[in-house]
Amino acid sequence: MKRRSLTVKLAALVLGISTLILGAVLVYNLLFSQAVIIRLAEDNSRSLGREVANHLAAQIKPIELAVKNIALALEDSALNSREITSLARRIVEGNEDVFGMTVAFEPFGISSDKLFFAPYSYRTDSGVKTTSLGGTGYRYFYMDWYQLAKELGCPVWTEPYFEESGASELMTTYSVPFYRLEDGQRRFIGVVTADISLKWLQHEVSSIKLYDTGYALITTHNGTFISHPVEELVLNQTVFSLAEGMGDQELWEIGRNMIEGKTGFLRRASVRDNKESFLLYMPLPIGGWSLAFLFPVDEVFADVRELSRNMLLIGGLGFLVLTGAVIWISRKITKPVRDLSDVALQIAQGNLDAKLPDIRTRDEVGDLAIAFGEMQSSIKEFIVDLTETTAQKERIESELRIGRDIQMGILPKIFPAFTEYAEFDIYASVEPAKEVGGDLYDFFLVDENHFCFLIGDVSGKGVPAAFFMAVTKTLLKVVAERGVSPGAILEKVNNDLAEDNESCMFVTLFVAVLDIRTGEVNYASAGHNPPVLLENSGVKYLKPLNEPLAGAMTGMTYTTSSLTLKPGDTLFLYTDGVTEAMNKADELYTDERLIVFMKGLYENDAKSMIEAVNQSVLDFSGGADQSDDITMLTLKYLGMGK
Amino acid sequence: MEFTNDKQGDFLVVGISGRLDATTAAEFEAQCDQWVEAKQGKIVVNMEGVDYISSAGLRSILTSAKKLKAMDGEMRFCGLTGMVADVFGVSGFASMFKIFDTLEQALNG
Repeated sequence: MKRRSLTVKLAALVLGISTLILGAVLVYNLLFSQAVIIRLAEDNSRSLGREVANHLAAQIKPIELAVKNIALALEDSALNSREITSLARRIVEGNEDVFGMTVAFEPFGISSDKLFFAPYSYRTDSGVKTTSLGGTGYRYFYMDWYQLAKELGCPVWTEPYFEESGASELMTTYSVPFYRLEDGQRRFIGVVTADISLKWLQHEVSSIKLYDTGYALITTHNGTFISHPVEELVLNQTVFSLAEGMGDQELWEIGRNMIEGKTGFLRRASVRDNKESFLLYMPLPIGGWSLAFLFPVDEVFADVRELSRNMLLIGGLGFLVLTGAVIWISRKITKPVRDLSDVALQIAQGNLDAKLPDIRTRDEVGDLAIAFGEMQSSIKEFIVDLTETTAQKERIESELRIGRDIQMGILPKIFPAFTEYAEFDIYASVEPAKEVGGDLYDFFLVDENHFCFLIGDVSGKGVPAAFFMAVTKTLLKVVAERGVSPGAILEKVNNDLAEDNESCMFVTLFVAVLDIRTGEVNYASAGHNPPVLLENSGVKYLKPLNEPLAGAMTGMTYTTSSLTLKPGDTLFLYTDGVTEAMNKADELYTDERLIVFMKGLYENDAKSMIEAVNQSVLDFSGGADQSDDITMLTLKYLGMGK
Repeated sequence: MEFTNDKQGDFLVVGISGRLDATTAAEFEAQCDQWVEAKQGKIVVNMEGVDYISSAGLRSILTSAKKLKAMDGEMRFCGLTGMVADVFGVSGFASMFKIFDTLEQALNG
């Protein structure tokens, strides 16, 4: 993993979390304020629409009422034609909002000789004028304003139209049918109409400004546009024709909802400039007309977006300041740690005297510095101790080695030995184990005809065993040289060793004295392994005497036994290092293996016999650790004849 | 190396199994020290389960036996087999200690 400093890690963590929080706040703020803004925009446009609707209602309701009143008055047949004409004229004169008014009768409705009767009073620049509609060129009872009211049997607002004769204003007409009772039947007589100008409405609607480029529009009960910022749509297109032209199913649905007088608020592209916009539509109080507002989403959200942009900017600035602050603080906090780490590196490279930085903060870092200082002095002390201990250990080891050398040095090692005596051949070897052991052997002339040879094994290991061995060997020689029997030698040595032997050490011994002239051997054993006797007739262990090992208890007696070696016979003495040599499977070499192996060694001289046994033991142990000294001694009797 | 203890009459019968060498001899000696401490002076060591004894093992027996003797106790042995019997014979332990063939004989002898 790439190495990163604490400062970088801390800064990354704090700044990462801050960025997440800031981001979450920004996103939440944006979403929430957008929702609020949309609701506000909807409410605003709704109330604007209601205002327009109320204004329109205030304009037309009195007119509708007036026209309906006249229609009611005309149900009474008492009014004559002149009175009817003047009634309509007075309405026009007395109501500025009414552009013109007609009372139109059914053919021959006023009298049987008059096909047409439709006095029309209308406003001109020079006052109100009255004319009669109807003639061969204008059969008024086929016009929409007449037919619709007659067929539907209720008051209607006609589709808007342009008044060609006058100021070319957009007009609409309100027609109310009237009836009379004749022969008990309600019979349609004619319609009363009032023309009103929509110029003010167009003006009012087109002057509505929603946000920057939002606009309003009006459709009639069949979807015809009567106010739209796109001029060529007005009176030329309906919502449905437009929807079909554009292949816009959604617009078609919207058109249906509008003519059904429903209210809706949705989000779609505007027809004018294809900008994503909010659309609100609502009914107007004139039969089936609908008012709609469109305002671009961009403009609605402009403020929110600016707010978010500014917040992001402030957040970014704050982020920079925070970055600086975090880096500053973390560098300040980690400075002692870095100083400590530098010193630690020096110490690790071996400079134990590196000076620790002076850190006095009372926090974890301060604790660390103190602990570190203690560790430094502990290590120094420890190294001093270790150096001393190592030196001591080396001294002791060296002394032990020298001791071992001295111990081994007291065993006779110069071979061939006693070459001036042709009567016997003597050889001995000791293969010391790693740990200091206590094996011993010796051979010397007691007098000119008697040759003493012996072997022994001190119990235990180490320096005590070595000392005990040295003492034993010295005692043996001193006692043996008095020329007493081997049994007496052992008795004396045993008593000397057993006295004040607090440590309960003991030694097994085999002592033999050869009469050079006759081959007679006197011997005694203090618990030592029985030696092997190699004769021409066979190889065997000497019969064990089972007498106690030396040094354990005073007052023991030892028997001296005797045998006679014929020329060529050999006595093989050994310690249990031979028979208890172990291989890697923890198996012992054993007495049996030894005796079987030695059967073929009768002809060997003293040295080659020991070498052969040694090789056999080595082959058996197969490189397993040697745990005990391996000591052997051979005496081959050659006889006087040689 | 495992020890078992079983008090029978005056004697504590100690069963040993495994090898009695330099490592286990120290354990044996420590056990004996506890018995000496507890004034248990008469001990029969059943060697039936011991298949090897080293000179260190012999020494631990000798040391313990001396301690028992100092408090008028004694250490008897039974169930010696194979190599252990040989070593006891060769080393003369047989002439220093009371050795029995069976536990009954050791307890009643």
